[in-house]
Amino acid sequence: MLNVRLFDLTTLLFGAASVNYVAALYGKKDTLARVGTWICIVAAIVSTAAIGVRWAESYNMGIGRIPVTNLYESLVFFAWSVNLFYLFVEWKYKNRAFGAFVIPIAFLTMLFAFTNESSIQPLVPALQSYWLHAHVITCFVGYAAFAVSAGVAVMYLLKARQEEAKSKEGVIGLFPSTKILDDLVYKSIIWGFPFLTAGIITGAAWANYAWGTYWSWDPKETWSLIVWLVYAAFLHARITRGWHGKRAAILSIVGFLATIMCYLGVNLVLSGLHSYGGS
Amino acid sequence: MSDDKRIQSAMDKVWNFFTSLKLAITVLIILAVSSVFGTIIEQNQPIEKYRQFYSDATIRMLDALNLFDMYHSWWFLLLLVLFTVNLSCCTLDRLPRVVKVVRNPKTTLDDNLEKSLGLVNRWKKKGSPDAWADKYAGAMGKAIGKPLVTRSSETVHLYAEKGVVSRFGVYVTHTSIVIIFIGAILGNVLGFKGFVNILEGQSIRQVPTRGGAKPVDLDFAVRCNKFTLSFYTDQHGHQTQQPKEYASDLSVIENGREVLRKKIVVNDPLQYKGIWFYQSSYGQAGSATAQVTVRDAGGAPLTTLSLYAGQPVEIPGYGNVTGMDYQPDYQGLGPALLVELEKPGQPNARFWLPQARPDFDRQRKDRYSFSFGGLNQAFYTGLQVAKDPGVNIVWVGCTLMVIGILIAFFMSHQRLWVRLTPSADGRVEVVLAGSASKNRLAFEKKFEKIQSDLKALAV
Repeated sequence: MLNVRLFDLTTLLFGAASVNYVAALYGKKDTLARVGTWICIVAAIVSTAAIGVRWAESYNMGIGRIPVTNLYESLVFFAWSVNLFYLFVEWKYKNRAFGAFVIPIAFLTMLFAFTNESSIQPLVPALQSYWLHAHVITCFVGYAAFAVSAGVAVMYLLKARQEEAKSKEGVIGLFPSTKILDDLVYKSIIWGFPFLTAGIITGAAWANYAWGTYWSWDPKETWSLIVWLVYAAFLHARITRGWHGKRAAILSIVGFLATIMCYLGVNLVLSGLHSYGGS
Repeated sequence: MSDDKRIQSAMDKVWNFFTSLKLAITVLIILAVSSVFGTIIEQNQPIEKYRQFYSDATIRMLDALNLFDMYHSWWFLLLLVLFTVNLSCCTLDRLPRVVKVVRNPKTTLDDNLEKSLGLVNRWKKKGSPDAWADKYAGAMGKAIGKPLVTRSSETVHLYAEKGVVSRFGVYVTHTSIVIIFIGAILGNVLGFKGFVNILEGQSIRQVPTRGGAKPVDLDFAVRCNKFTLSFYTDQHGHQTQQPKEYASDLSVIENGREVLRKKIVVNDPLQYKGIWFYQSSYGQAGSATAQVTVRDAGGAPLTTLSLYAGQPVEIPGYGNVTGMDYQPDYQGLGPALLVELEKPGQPNARFWLPQARPDFDRQRKDRYSFSFGGLNQAFYTGLQVAKDPGVNIVWVGCTLMVIGILIAFFMSHQRLWVRLTPSADGRVEVVLAGSASKNRLAFEKKFEKIQSDLKALAV
């Protein structure tokens, strides 16, 4: 189907952009990174079109619904969100070095999606609700923000180690200053946190409307709470105890690992209500 | 006296413990880590299930730690209580101070304050403090807000602020968590959760509750008129095995009258007098029966029989008829029933009755003919039933939480001071200082801009 071809093209574009960004760092050629940005912009357009086409195709099949209802669709939607959030950050901070640490996340996500069943399946009765839109979109904007934060946190750790060694050599010398990286780790999280909060709340509201229980300690719910608690701890440590730099960066990476567990691990390892249509 | 002091200091220690941020972060991390266990160990499963995975000794140990129903265990609830006490104490401890600071802002820039601020700039201008104060007040008004002017002898102070509300975002968020807990407790104490199966055509007035408590009596009855299950069709119009809709046609009956009727589906419940009924499951009640109409030689219906598979039904003075087989699509004619007719002194006859052709059996040219009216399957519907008087309080808490977080992270309390003093050389000494409660990098840029704007002004 056309939408899957477009998503395949998106995968290639993310791959090309990743290569460009990484090559730009190693070759110290800003032109390459500039090309990377343009590829990301094209990828944003192609993947947005792909989501639209998939949506339209589901209507043509007589089972119209938003394309965020199984593992394949959620992965491409996650990559889409990461790319857009990344482009926003790049534009805002005028630095293309981030690309080498963030766009590969989108690329790997698309590769993983590529190995999954991509056909459009009708919605099971439990997912037939308008809450689906609000719940999925808020959660995924949150996840994307946390992905960007973790990518930048890795950059921070590399840069901080180099600064300790009083060296300005090599690839890492081109990174933005630790001050900016540290700030961005935090900024991404304060964007992600309200979205995750809204995602948990819309999920609870939906559960209450479908089953009469807004919280039942289902593994997905519990893991979303774990993610929320980790970032809440990050924010308290940062704002009131002045946790900056290394400790904050590590906590951001831990938070993102918990996010991955919440998003994929729960479905692949544990059992529960969010089967992503897999079973 | 010394005893008082000791008690005082012990109390202080307790208070300091409960208001400490260290405790908050520790509790957040412990809650996060312990929650993991309950997702790895499946909760509330029958013991046989655990025996498949764990040895008896492990089961005893996990059970002693309440890890099979962890989220309702005393120690997890204790953690939640500690969490709530901690954040309540933090609010009680810090909120009055913030209110005090906000209500009595430092409107004059003295030396101590100046030293405590990171962003300070000074320059000199010719002219009088008053003339410059007017100029600067206008510029500050554009950048931050209309300044408050304080005069003490020769010195003029200007003070402007905005985003005071951002100081309260964190307390709105903390309070919202307490509100959510209050809503949850109210729901648990005053409400109930239950589950009930209703056969088609029957009604219930009582709902068994979860956890083995006694059933709840409703002051109305709920009848299931019909349950329907529908499937998606594929692109050729054939029915697939993918369920599309589970629907129950329900009626609420009060004082013998139907007061409400609604077809509920998953994600669209029925609500009456604060009690909600959610489509949850279904099942087949008994076996299916085939509806067979007996007709006279002219084709007029005489009676209708309900045949169970393989069980003969007698037609007096004629013979016995038995339903043998059913096919949803018999030779392209659609659903059809295979019957066996047993007449005294005659060999048994078997023939198909297509549902779409009620006159089909008249070709036997007998005294009676049969027609097939379809299969009749009785269902029961399974409904979750819930009453939760606390749920709206929970939603209020959730809304406040999002608002609080947005205020806390995206608003900043920005303050700007200007002090104008006549200096010994006849000029005016200007000191500009600023501070922001959040996003200091952005405020630094803004401060630079304000400073250059102010310096560029001329009287």
